[in-house]
Amino acid sequence: MRGQKLFLLLLSLMLLSGCVQKEVVDDVNIAVGIGLDKKDDQILGSVMIPVYKTDRSIENFTFTSKGTVTRDIIFQMSHKSSQPIVTGSLEVGLFGEEVAREGIIEFLDAFQRDPSVGARVYLAVVDGTASEIFKGNYGDRGNAIYLSGLIQQNTERGNMPLTNVHQFLFDFYQKGKDPFLPLLKKTQPDLVNIAGVALFKDEKVIDSIPTSKMFYFKLLVDEYSEGTIKIKADNKESVIKSLKSKYKFRLKKRSPYEFDIHINIDALVSEYTGRTVSKKVVKKIEKQLERQVASECTKLIKKFQEKNIDPIGLGHFAKTQTRGFDFTKWTEEYPNAEVKVSVDVSIAEVGVVE
Amino acid sequence: MQNERSSSPEKNQQHTQNKNEEKKNSEDWEKTFLKSKDFTKTNYINQKTGKPFTFVFMSTLVDEKILSNSVLPALLEEELYQLSDIKKLLPIPDVQLSTEKSEIEKKLFNGYVMLFLDNDKSLFAFIAAQKEVSRSVSAPEIEFSVVGPKEAFVESLRQNINMVRKRMPIKELVSEEFTLGSLSKTKISILHVEGITNDEIIQTVRQRIKNIEFDEIVDSSYIVQLISDNESSPFPQLLDTERPDRVAAILAEGKIAILVDGSPHALIGPTTLIEFFSSFEDYFLNWVLSSFFRLIRVFGVAFSILITPIYVAALTYHYELIPKDLLGTLINSRRVVPFPPILEALFLEITIELLREAGARLPTKVGQTIGIVGGIVLGTASVEAGLTSNVLLIFIALAALAAFTTPVYKMSNTIRLLRFPFLLMAELWGLLGITIAFCFLMTHLIRLTSLGHPFLEPLYPPRVQDLKDAFIRGSFKDLNRRPSYLRTKDPIRFSGEKSHKKKDIDE
Repeated sequence: MRGQKLFLLLLSLMLLSGCVQKEVVDDVNIAVGIGLDKKDDQILGSVMIPVYKTDRSIENFTFTSKGTVTRDIIFQMSHKSSQPIVTGSLEVGLFGEEVAREGIIEFLDAFQRDPSVGARVYLAVVDGTASEIFKGNYGDRGNAIYLSGLIQQNTERGNMPLTNVHQFLFDFYQKGKDPFLPLLKKTQPDLVNIAGVALFKDEKVIDSIPTSKMFYFKLLVDEYSEGTIKIKADNKESVIKSLKSKYKFRLKKRSPYEFDIHINIDALVSEYTGRTVSKKVVKKIEKQLERQVASECTKLIKKFQEKNIDPIGLGHFAKTQTRGFDFTKWTEEYPNAEVKVSVDVSIAEVGVVE
Repeated sequence: MQNERSSSPEKNQQHTQNKNEEKKNSEDWEKTFLKSKDFTKTNYINQKTGKPFTFVFMSTLVDEKILSNSVLPALLEEELYQLSDIKKLLPIPDVQLSTEKSEIEKKLFNGYVMLFLDNDKSLFAFIAAQKEVSRSVSAPEIEFSVVGPKEAFVESLRQNINMVRKRMPIKELVSEEFTLGSLSKTKISILHVEGITNDEIIQTVRQRIKNIEFDEIVDSSYIVQLISDNESSPFPQLLDTERPDRVAAILAEGKIAILVDGSPHALIGPTTLIEFFSSFEDYFLNWVLSSFFRLIRVFGVAFSILITPIYVAALTYHYELIPKDLLGTLINSRRVVPFPPILEALFLEITIELLREAGARLPTKVGQTIGIVGGIVLGTASVEAGLTSNVLLIFIALAALAAFTTPVYKMSNTIRLLRFPFLLMAELWGLLGITIAFCFLMTHLIRLTSLGHPFLEPLYPPRVQDLKDAFIRGSFKDLNRRPSYLRTKDPIRFSGEKSHKKKDIDE
């Protein structure tokens, strides 16, 4: 009898205390992309919503609204929408250049705070405005899938180092490391390009790396890469596909700081304009690539030091190697730190052409 | 009560007495008997000694051929002076002398013929002349197997025990008999192998069966419900089988079997949850194949229980879990449906349940097939009418199909039922609700016992050795030990070392 009463009590507690808000999949507007631009003094937010047509094609619809913070902008948009806008299925977040130059961390708060937003949402800075990118029609699977696919594909197989909300926030909150994001640019009405890597100082974009230097950048910040690079050796052009690369930092001296970065590349020749790739040629290509990578990487690091940004995380590395590390001292010393890059290339394969 | 006309030795014919006279002279024990038409009482006179004697029997229960061929000629033509002489005269193995009047009813209704000499009614003999009416042994229908024996139990206890004994012709196979039911007087037999089966199991069963208070026991499934550890559980705690070969196999493992007269199903215990997913055909196939089929079955059950709740949960609460490519398909199929996912799912689930229930009531097995096919046609129509989404229809049809893979009928009924609480919890709290429902299910299963032995063994408590014949069926060479949870008196079935030896080369 007592058990029954308890059961009834529990049952009524369960059933009467109210349920979680339902979000039935076809009764909500699923935001898949969000873009933030600067307009006048306010932020112009755009939210991308796929419209699934009965013939299985996907159309893109964009809500835009003005406001000051992300959640408020989305709330403003719901004034125009017949169904609630839900953000659990975000794929990409784009930031217009102007916004990115003024800092994006306050907008990212909405991404971090909401547990339904994934940590692997891609973020990107737009050379231009995000709303412009949202206006196009790319691919046949919807704009958001196109944009996230663009970044994902270039991360997995191209020269783009891995970036997403998780990585960005990690780099941001990690002392002695600065974040970076892909830089997108709309070049044609139905195509978006990766235009390079946007470099941040804290939360503000201050510089970018062009696509031609992205291979070297990825060697410095990403463990595994499958990028390609064209090099010239012996007046013959060859395209090298990097199978695997690894980098290793070493702290050699502390005052002044001296670092040694060793990059190991296992590569293969995927194209060569000369005739046969003999062992001699392979040696030459290896030597040339080593020289090229070393000099380009050194140049990149020099540039970072000039701008006083640290996307490869030397400060963080130094901290892990030093007891009682002093960051204020480090920021002063960083531009003068000496960084040596040594490269070891081994070409494993030259293809089947004899 | 002697009839004068039959006193002369020459006219030794059968004389039926006048009913009225009979009633007047009848003794106490006969009063109720006389109301039945098939109660027969006949008088005879022995030719040599002139002794009159009387037969009393139930004509519907007695094989009259035995009477006229073996009993009557001897009794009429040989020298019969006193009742104890019949032991010499009758060519029948089961003849008992008795003075107990209380035994009369029991014996008469078990097909015995009562015989007494008219001058001494206190002593009487019972002659066995039972009429055996039972259908012939046929192929198993529920636990059908392509290979292997094609014998199934029938409704006769004697026939059933015969089929088991043929497969295990040893004296250690003990059959204990009980009579249960104040009205049905059903004979129940417990089979076990002495020297293997743990005494505690036998004692438990014996005790529970003795404690049964019931009037009419019609089938073995009554016994299951009466002696189950937890009678409110939807899970059957004794395995029922119609295969004598399976009974012989589990007896060898150290389990016990309960056979009930009038029921073509034997009960096996103690059993585990895993055993309900193993078909006996698994042992007829190579262990690699049967292990694969068992895994398929386990997957089928999980799929059958969980797929609709997951559909409801994901579509109602967790749109972010759905892959982007699938989202279009789901939204398109859902767009025209006016109901929330739960109503849509309940609508289809109940349709399938109705069809299954109707199919089971249809006279032939074809009815079932037609029912399912009809269900899919009905489903397609309801998709076209915009009542349900076609994605869900596929899921429901697959789930129904997957539930049929369970080899034990009683378990597939349980699975039918289990889906609904999961569905309701999915509607209430999404995936969290499914998890909670699963916790309840697991708690219930962990607490459940079969004849005092854990139902979830070998998963909980974990018994690595017994896992050899759980999700996978190990090869016969590896199954050289009896299941450890049964605590058998002789845990080793055969020498594992010897069985692993290869004897290719003669030395």
